[in-house]
Amino acid sequence: MDVGGMRRQLERLRGVALTRKVEFAEMRFATSRSSSLMLQDGRADRMGAGERAGLGVRVVAAGAWGFATCESTAFDDWAACLDMAVDMAAVSAQRLSEPVVLAETAPVVDEVHATYELDPTEVPMERKLAAVRGYEEASARKACDHMANVMTAYSDARQTEIVCNTRGTLVSTESVRTMIWHAITAQNGSIRQRASERRARQSGFELVEGTPGCEFSAKAAKRAVSLLSAQPAPAGKFPAIFHPSIAGLLVHEAIGHNTEADLVLTGQSILEGRLGTQVAADCISIVDDSTIPASWGSYTYDSEGVPGQKRALVDKGVLKGFLHSLETAAKMGVAPNGSARADGFMHRPIIRMSNTMILPGENTLDDLMRDIDLGILLRGGQWGYVQSEKGQYTCHAGEGVMIRNGELAEQVRDVSISGMTLDTLANALGASRDFELEMPGNCGKNGQSMPVNGGGPYIKVKEVVVGGQA
Amino acid sequence: MSAPGTSGLLKLAEIACEAAIRAGAEFADAAAEHGESRSVSVEKNAIKSSDARRRGGISVRAFFSGGTGWSSASGLTEETARQAGAQAAELARAAEADPDFVDLVEPADYPTVGGLYDPRLAEIAGPQIAAWITENIDAARGVADDALVSGGASVGWGRWALANSRGVRVSQESTRGSVSVEVVVRRGDDVGSFYDWDAGRSLSDIAPENLGAKAAGEALRYLKSRVIKTATLPVVFGPRSGMSLLSGLCGAASAEEVQRNRSFLIGKLGERVASEHVTLVDDAVIAGGLGSSVCDGDGFPHRRVTLVERGVLKTYLHNHYTANKGGVENTGHSTRGGISTTNVIPSLGAKTAAEIIAEVDDGIYVTLGHPSPDTASGQISAMVDSGFRIAKGKLTFPLKNTMFAGHGLELLANVDAISSDYRTEPGMVLPTVRVQGVRVAGGG
Repeated sequence: MDVGGMRRQLERLRGVALTRKVEFAEMRFATSRSSSLMLQDGRADRMGAGERAGLGVRVVAAGAWGFATCESTAFDDWAACLDMAVDMAAVSAQRLSEPVVLAETAPVVDEVHATYELDPTEVPMERKLAAVRGYEEASARKACDHMANVMTAYSDARQTEIVCNTRGTLVSTESVRTMIWHAITAQNGSIRQRASERRARQSGFELVEGTPGCEFSAKAAKRAVSLLSAQPAPAGKFPAIFHPSIAGLLVHEAIGHNTEADLVLTGQSILEGRLGTQVAADCISIVDDSTIPASWGSYTYDSEGVPGQKRALVDKGVLKGFLHSLETAAKMGVAPNGSARADGFMHRPIIRMSNTMILPGENTLDDLMRDIDLGILLRGGQWGYVQSEKGQYTCHAGEGVMIRNGELAEQVRDVSISGMTLDTLANALGASRDFELEMPGNCGKNGQSMPVNGGGPYIKVKEVVVGGQA
Repeated sequence: MSAPGTSGLLKLAEIACEAAIRAGAEFADAAAEHGESRSVSVEKNAIKSSDARRRGGISVRAFFSGGTGWSSASGLTEETARQAGAQAAELARAAEADPDFVDLVEPADYPTVGGLYDPRLAEIAGPQIAAWITENIDAARGVADDALVSGGASVGWGRWALANSRGVRVSQESTRGSVSVEVVVRRGDDVGSFYDWDAGRSLSDIAPENLGAKAAGEALRYLKSRVIKTATLPVVFGPRSGMSLLSGLCGAASAEEVQRNRSFLIGKLGERVASEHVTLVDDAVIAGGLGSSVCDGDGFPHRRVTLVERGVLKTYLHNHYTANKGGVENTGHSTRGGISTTNVIPSLGAKTAAEIIAEVDDGIYVTLGHPSPDTASGQISAMVDSGFRIAKGKLTFPLKNTMFAGHGLELLANVDAISSDYRTEPGMVLPTVRVQGVRVAGGG
């Protein structure tokens, strides 16, 4: 990809935009080049590659937003796309609540290159395949006769986003992402249990070189096999301790989405009107930090060309701030904090989390468990979702361990929990010193999927509802 | 970029296939696609943005000794098609051999499926799309003057063409329009919300007029939600969650999952997997169905397939590869990379939804939720997103912080009623479903 050529073409398009009746125009070119392979049941029989590129143009005209895209690099298509965005703004003007105002920002001109040690495009396929095969073998050794199916996937992507706007900003950001994923289905008679592990970073092939199978696929195999003899989870309300992976899921689903200022301003967040108030117990402090080197959710500039930063959301239980775009920052009268990202050229920038975490506390895990007579430790966070307007969330944990008389007891499987966000936050009783930020994944919002990361310490809560069968 | 016709797309797909074969592939297929859409999104009772999207690209699968190479690229040019074809072939030669691969789909006659493309819908302009949703803002606020309405409306049309190296040539044009409305009402810290939608492939199938008013009325019903105690109860799944329960079985019926030994339905072919009330047909050729098309992703002609008959699993869902591997008939469920159902239609029962609820002395009603089993374990553990307590045959108060759980096969075996009345959308029949003896976890 000729980044210099695309930058010049965007500047040319900006010249055209300045001749149109628009208050603001943002032209964003995005390209992604990816490769992948899948090893399954001993065979790497699926290999893939893709390259997509196109333009998204967003304008404010007569106080209204318009957006248009084209999957092309031809300037004539781009010019037509700009005119279409202006036409669409006229449609938006049919029903405005108030004219769009954007926070003031100084123009930024920059070019950010990805940092990595081993360029994945330079690594021969044989080397990638050997590494992936090693993961499968490590898993198979651990699972022995219980292995029903294993899948191991490798993928890498080189992405470039160039943001150019009529305020003079011209920022190009390159990223290289590498991901490995392993899933195993273990079987004992008619019982099947599945476990998976994922490692994903903004790095080159060094991610794979630095990830031995014993710390990756073998862990999934061990967990899947152990779940075969686990009991069904109980149903009801229990004191709980969240493993850092569940804390990461919780902070993302239950709290993080509620701090997105677009949801706050549209009445879809339970944190509306609570800025500066106590929304959680003292032991809960939460940040969203897009500056952590190499983390899956990090970035230098967001899709509006605003630098990413560390954002304090909750400090010792007090709500300190929200995640903002240029528009929401203007509406709330604060500085933008670089939280608007777009999933490729086909989508508008919207407010997204980056690396969201609960900060560590002072306790040990034993401290947290000590006074629990009957409770549950939840770990292996898999997925969740939130109804942000109601503050009701659910998280699915891959596994649980019952806590009896202050100690870990029998393992349980198929555990989902639900709760009311503010109740759970207020009922947090402690956080551990141990901390992990290892939940790289993709978050879905408004049809867009963005890389994020999450984590935290062990968190103890007074009670959650466990959706079990026993 | 001018919009190519289906013949132009077919030509590009042929060029990509030929390039793959020239580069050493033994088999190849290629799909070329062009699509456009207009959408209007609403936040807090006003238009947030109006968007126009245009996309076009090619994807190629090449096969060498059964190993698969995939390539996709933006743009609809002959050069792009050749490059994607050659790259797919190169990847296929790097992939390891798969002895289970036999060949690709051969040319066949395709069914006529009406109602997939409506030129009147394709020509709907932005202001009309905006009106669909703004009229619903007004309607919602007519019911609750403090209603906060979000959602959107969109219209899209596209052309798709598939060619393979065995001579398959098939193309399709389609349209789709949709309107969705989410209404939130607040009374202090108390919140009620509801989401609803309407969609269709033709203009006459889209009736968005009453969505906002109905959603606002429903949102008001969900105020003052309460927790309940943990118990084992009958659960009545309303039309939207009930269909999730029934069709959730289909994910595990994928032959790919079965052949790869990771489905809880392994060994269940011809066996009872649900109560005798449950009969499911997947009908991909319903005129105007949202999941309808003339062929699957491999180019295999679509047809009507019985999945479950009076509780007995009649077939797994196959694509061309899994059918060859299993030595059975192809059911035409390829998504060109995966396996999926199209329009799943359940058979109806004798009682109305009201009668089914009236028979429940103590239970819950799940309006919205995701009761889909884990494909491998079969377990369901899910939250009641929206629902009610049932007492003495009537819906009483709305629920909060409530979950339900069980094994998918147990829940389906305990289905004791499917309603005679149902919600309908194009290609969809959504009845009410009652399940006895479900473990319900509450925060009370």
